[in-house]
Amino acid sequence: MPRPPAVPLAWANLAHDKVRFALFTAGIGFAVVLMGVQLGIMNAMLDSNTVLLRRTNADLVLVNPARKSLLFREGVNRRRADLARQVPGVRSVEPLYVDYHLGMLRHTADDPNERTQTRRIRVVGVDPDGGLLNLPGVTAADWERLRVPGAALYDRKSRPHPDQARHPGETVFGALADGVQTELAGRDVTLVGNGFELGFDFGTDGTLVVSDRTFAAWIRAPYAGPGTDPLAEIDLACVRLDPGASAADVQQRLRELFATGGDVDVLTRSQMIDREKWFWWTNTPIGFAFGAGVVLGFVVGLVICYQILSSDIADHVAEYATLKAIGYPNRYLSSVVLQEALILAAMGYVPGILVTLATYAGLTRLTGLPMELTFPRAGLILGLTVAMCVGSAWLAVGKVKKVDPADVF
Amino acid sequence: MSSSTVPPPPGSPVLRISGVNHHFGTGDTRTQVLFHNTLEVMPGELVIMSGPSGSGKTTLLTLVGGLRTLQEGQIEVWDGDRGDYRTLRGTPEPELVHVRRLIGFIFQRHNLFDSLTATQNVRMAQRLRSTTGDPDADARDLLQYLLLGTLDIQGKPQKVRFDYKPAQLSGGQRQRVAVARALVNRPKLVLADEPTAALDANSGLAVVTLLQNLARTRPDDELAALVRSGEDAGEAGRLADWQVPLLRQIATATGTTSLIVTHDARIMNLADRIVHMERGRIESNVVVAERLFVRNGLRQSAAFAAILPEEQQKIADELLVGVHPDLPVRPDQLAAHPGRVEVYDPGQDVLRVGDPVDEHSKFYLIRRGTVEVWRAPEGEPLRKVAELGPGRYFGEVALLMDQPRNATVRAATRVEVYAVDRATFDRYKTVSRPFIDRILENFGPAGEA
Repeated sequence: MPRPPAVPLAWANLAHDKVRFALFTAGIGFAVVLMGVQLGIMNAMLDSNTVLLRRTNADLVLVNPARKSLLFREGVNRRRADLARQVPGVRSVEPLYVDYHLGMLRHTADDPNERTQTRRIRVVGVDPDGGLLNLPGVTAADWERLRVPGAALYDRKSRPHPDQARHPGETVFGALADGVQTELAGRDVTLVGNGFELGFDFGTDGTLVVSDRTFAAWIRAPYAGPGTDPLAEIDLACVRLDPGASAADVQQRLRELFATGGDVDVLTRSQMIDREKWFWWTNTPIGFAFGAGVVLGFVVGLVICYQILSSDIADHVAEYATLKAIGYPNRYLSSVVLQEALILAAMGYVPGILVTLATYAGLTRLTGLPMELTFPRAGLILGLTVAMCVGSAWLAVGKVKKVDPADVF
Repeated sequence: MSSSTVPPPPGSPVLRISGVNHHFGTGDTRTQVLFHNTLEVMPGELVIMSGPSGSGKTTLLTLVGGLRTLQEGQIEVWDGDRGDYRTLRGTPEPELVHVRRLIGFIFQRHNLFDSLTATQNVRMAQRLRSTTGDPDADARDLLQYLLLGTLDIQGKPQKVRFDYKPAQLSGGQRQRVAVARALVNRPKLVLADEPTAALDANSGLAVVTLLQNLARTRPDDELAALVRSGEDAGEAGRLADWQVPLLRQIATATGTTSLIVTHDARIMNLADRIVHMERGRIESNVVVAERLFVRNGLRQSAAFAAILPEEQQKIADELLVGVHPDLPVRPDQLAAHPGRVEVYDPGQDVLRVGDPVDEHSKFYLIRRGTVEVWRAPEGEPLRKVAELGPGRYFGEVALLMDQPRNATVRAATRVEVYAVDRATFDRYKTVSRPFIDRILENFGPAGEA
């Protein structure tokens, strides 16, 4: 029994008036951009706080449960790391030292007046041979030069000098380049290599990477008691696994090992990154501010979409009533509204996400925030857009259900 | 062209409305708009609903169409797909949706989607029913017949409007698209509210002729008469010669019943049944063929021959039972109109010779069946003198002369007779007196019965 082809009613109703359709699309696109940019800034802020972790070559990390963020000081005792090395599946446990508080870097300017200024910088200490950090731009020779006490790798993406017109290319620490001599925590350091790129975050304006020995001598020793090991406390013990070992199994074993002590948490690197993000998300207004921004975008989109759908219904009450009168069930009318919502979502998303991408590029250039649109994030925005439109469809469906077929006569 | 449907059993209506009351509003503002509406519509009837605005015609239509919740009474609509009636009282929405699909609705406003082309608007209805044949071709034939295709009324080529959107169509063209949408599934029941109000004479005639041919096939000569010149047609409109074969093609299946609210005289003249409503009540329900039958029957009698046609009409209307004279009257229909029609079994006497004439005596018009007239000349036994069939009358002379019956009238078959009571008869007898006297002089006591 042949039936004529389906009539694309939802599309026809939306696309009938081209100008209105363009405005509808722009409206939904606006909401997409609003959500995309808010999410982008939020993610950029959270990303910037976890760049160091993401550049660390570790399958698992041991961290003090009390250290809710790397910003804090509680460490893992070195003996714990030694214990961990005994666990099957563990190939190596290497210490990563991080200090956010004691590394005061003197300005690198030649002018003695400017050199009086010191600024806090994040100092990271690693074994130069360990290959623990994955820093593009840092060569094997640079790592070799790091063995010299007082040598430091520097972050090209340290916070830029606010007056770039007069200090082009300079950071807030002054010009950073190979061979520049300055002071870290009151002792001479020499910058080596061409620098790496980590970027600044909430806690720091930049990062220096030094050898573990330099770290011990410059940062920890002045505060360690006489006769104590300045490197007794590891900030982050990075566990690497034997080839073929299951991260989950080793994590389980390590957890059992440290279960009684309660002073060591065993996390995968991505868990550690999430934990760090969660800290910043919950302990700063970022989560609220930008979460609210996303909600705002969502609500704006919801309202716009609802307006579009309900005005379509209002404009076509007689026609929808006619459809009901000739025997279309409510289900069909609801599906038309839903289809319209999905079309709006799709048609708004495409330009919206393009504008979002352009905005990301612009904001990154302006602020240095690492704004990235990964597939999951683009997917999240798509999901939010669809949810927004489907939500408004759900609200609008009530109207179309109320259309009275008796009104057509 | 919808797939095969079953007509209701012979003599059964396609639509039965019984005791329908309807109220609008609730609480203090609750007002009754329909009062005890009872109506039966037979398959293939063209029913005109007339009455002033606010008389409840539209409300009744929406109830029949399953567009409103039925509050009191019952409505049954024949479902040819299921071979059974669908009752509308207390029917849940999903089943009402099925009832609506049985019906073709033509609304006063076209209610087309401005975003869809003419063909797509028609297709919206086609999507609701599976069909045999090519649905697109069928829709195009229908639109072509309704003067939206390649040819105009003069048979000259014109712009094809199948893919025009409503904004590009005139009001009348939109209305015709809406008619096509209502009829494309060939519903067995059409509910229409002023379907021709927005149409010019020619397209109005096309629509009406289509509705009529969907009810029953009209003879070729009748259709041929509609193909005429513009001067001959005048206000009545005309068909193009190319429309006639197309009409035959799109109206192959017949038996469509139409309920039409209209003031259009062109349609009124084609009505099989005229239902008149006043203040929420069905004031009259006239089967046009029955009214004609009774009026013609009465006119033969000397008692009624001389009175004005309007008065003949009035007497006739007081005898009607709302059943086509081709169909027998059912007991419930007799009961609904007490005293109008009497039924006699074969061999039963309607009148006996010598019966005295009193205020209960009646004048009879045969509706169905045959009676025998027996008379006894002085002192002789009864002898059959005549047989009378449908449309003939008897019992007149005794009432005119005010003397006992001079013959026995016996039912030869099952007989249905319209019975005019003495009071009505006498009222007009005085009016017709001179004429009657002349007749009596001429025929004397030889007049029958």
